Amino acid sequence: MQLLGKYYDGLTANPRTVTCSIQGTEASGFLEITDLELNHEVAHWPQGSLFPVPGKSGELRLASTSAPEGARVVFSDREIAARARGELPMLARHRQKHTRRQFRIIGLSSMAIASVVLAYIYGIPLLAGQVVGLIPPEMETRFGEKIVVQMADALEESGGLTLCDPDPESLPNRAIQRFTEAALEGTYAPFDVSVQVVANSIPNAFALPGGRAFYFQGLLDKTETADEFAGVLAHEIGHVVHRDGMKQLIATAGTGLLVGFVLGDITGLSVAGTVGAALINTSFSRDAEREADRFSLAVAQRRAFEPTGLADLLERISDDDASAQIFALLSTHPLTQERRAALEEINPLETAAIPAFSEEEWQAIKSMCSTRGTGKRKNKGRDRR
Amino acid sequence: MAERATVSFTGSRWRLAGILIFGYILMLPTLGIYRFWQVTAKRRFYWANTEVDGDTLEYTGTAIQLLVGFLFALAIFLPLYGFFFYLSTQSPEALIYGYTGAALLLFFLSGYAIFRARRFRLTRTLWRGIRFHQSGSAWGYAFRRFLWFAVTAATAGLAYPFMAASLWKYRFNNTWYGDRRFSFTGSWRTIAAPYYIVYFLIVGLTVAIIIISAPQMEQELAAQGVSREVLTGYLAMATAFIAFFSYFYLLSRFTSRLLSSVSAGTAALKVHVRARSLFWQYFFYGIMLLVVVLAFLVVAGFVFQGVIEPMLADQEIELNEILQIGWYNLLLLGLLYLALMASLTVLFETILGLGFWRLVARGAVIENADSLKGIRASGEESPLVGEGLADALNVGGY
Repeated sequence: MQLLGKYYDGLTANPRTVTCSIQGTEASGFLEITDLELNHEVAHWPQGSLFPVPGKSGELRLASTSAPEGARVVFSDREIAARARGELPMLARHRQKHTRRQFRIIGLSSMAIASVVLAYIYGIPLLAGQVVGLIPPEMETRFGEKIVVQMADALEESGGLTLCDPDPESLPNRAIQRFTEAALEGTYAPFDVSVQVVANSIPNAFALPGGRAFYFQGLLDKTETADEFAGVLAHEIGHVVHRDGMKQLIATAGTGLLVGFVLGDITGLSVAGTVGAALINTSFSRDAEREADRFSLAVAQRRAFEPTGLADLLERISDDDASAQIFALLSTHPLTQERRAALEEINPLETAAIPAFSEEEWQAIKSMCSTRGTGKRKNKGRDRR
Repeated sequence: MAERATVSFTGSRWRLAGILIFGYILMLPTLGIYRFWQVTAKRRFYWANTEVDGDTLEYTGTAIQLLVGFLFALAIFLPLYGFFFYLSTQSPEALIYGYTGAALLLFFLSGYAIFRARRFRLTRTLWRGIRFHQSGSAWGYAFRRFLWFAVTAATAGLAYPFMAASLWKYRFNNTWYGDRRFSFTGSWRTIAAPYYIVYFLIVGLTVAIIIISAPQMEQELAAQGVSREVLTGYLAMATAFIAFFSYFYLLSRFTSRLLSSVSAGTAALKVHVRARSLFWQYFFYGIMLLVVVLAFLVVAGFVFQGVIEPMLADQEIELNEILQIGWYNLLLLGLLYLALMASLTVLFETILGLGFWRLVARGAVIENADSLKGIRASGEESPLVGEGLADALNVGGY
């Protein structure tokens, strides 16, 4: 059978119109290629050496392992291409093998990524915990100081991180310091822990890497009892002891890398990337919050305070602060009800002897920000919107 | 004998859309891995449907090569990523300097990546069984590009024709078809006329608007019976009009003139792309874009009405519970977002991407094409190190 096609020898850029005939069997036969104009054979390729290469739909492009790399026989006519395919069954087998191989590679690499994702989601808290152990405390303290500067900048509008009471020897500061030391009893915190009340109108409290924790005036204003104050304080000290700030930093970096790997967007700036990373980080930080609550509970057993105060305060904030609710959309904290249930497990008031704060101390803490820097309070109304 | 060969493009928009959509669908279960296969299929489609003097191009690259290239690119990005992380823990000033430096570094690297990616594609392009290839140094190209951009920025764009000519020259003087070297015979004069006409028209109009907005001009204009507001309005409209249409004018002239300065030995490429054809393509694209975005807004509206609103109406449920309980809603939202992104890319590729390729192909002829027949094979597929960088930096193009 004569098949009309085109032939490139792979050596010179000279296309020839050829007729091809398929001779013999698959094992020992040849594809004979004859120049139509000169009417003599230009090449013959063993049938076993033939393989198809991708081309336009409908056409058949053939290459041979025994010919130069770029050598091709092309049947552009649909009908001729179909006939050639029929005569050369090894082409279909070759294609099948190729497709199977592609599927295997796609499947394997997808599975590799899936396992990286799973290992990441379940392993990152462990991994971050391990990595954090390798970071010297001095380095983390330096990190922490720089982050404090960044934070103060970012929060400038609502009051920055200005101390309400800069005198470390004042009654409220001493009371907080005493509570902190009591909370740290029997734990290992590799750096000096300090909790500071700052004149910032946002109702919040957080712990940064390097042992610095902040309690905002906005939150203090909403704090009604010493139990609530002690609960939040112990919770933040818990974060410091667990080095959660640093773990979070490491985990976030890891998440960004992973999302970049999956989406091919290494800058991680796409919306899909940002949301994906936020979701993964959220679940991680919820675990950290549960741990900090548990720490708070343990402290409450030594220094008597009602651990559910923490939950009371949280509810009060989310009830009357619409913006806090919106922030809760991608909440890093577990649900308040769930936390309350965990905190109610033990009633420490029965076991502990020493109260967390005396009434006098609590009143002094409560008025820490209002006795000084009244100018700040004036600002507050504007900033709260 | 001076023979003129033509170029044609036979690919259909629907077929390309099919390739892209199939790829996006498979990207979901493969967690993005399929994107390398999608890109490869897309290139095969473009190459195989481009016919030069009766013979189609062939793309010989494989998806696995892209995958490996991406892994190599990761090796370059990992330290960079570590640097970003370190940076994020530094003081605000260090942050600004650090990010500026990193942006410059990435810009420099993208020059390197563009040149390497071009080599990757050229060395995997066969025509008449002979491979293209590229000499020259990617670092050299990156360096040139970086300096020229700096000069162009410093001269407020006046140096642009010099930059274009220099970079085109470097690219094409290092491009080979078999043992035949291409050359770029153009210079800054090639595109100077259209560029400077538009440049000075827009600068002139802007200066005119600034002059008449000076306080003392009000009375002078009033004395001649001209209202300043009306005149400013006309001038602003003229500026916007010229800026809008000059985009198509400049794109058509640059493409035509720069490509027409490319030759390989005695064979010379001549390309003519009309500004009007480009305009209609963008017009069509704009309308389709509107349709797709509206369709998505309607779908998103239904999702909101059907899922989120009833939950909001229920006062008992806190906002954060919606997201914590209804994670599948979040998933739905995510899928909707991905579908929107994919649709926009498909639209862009099938209308503007394919449209431009086809315009260039149909507007191209090769003069003295017979002289290409004696060319002998030379060069081989380039190695993969550094090739995936362009994909990672998203500067790859086709």
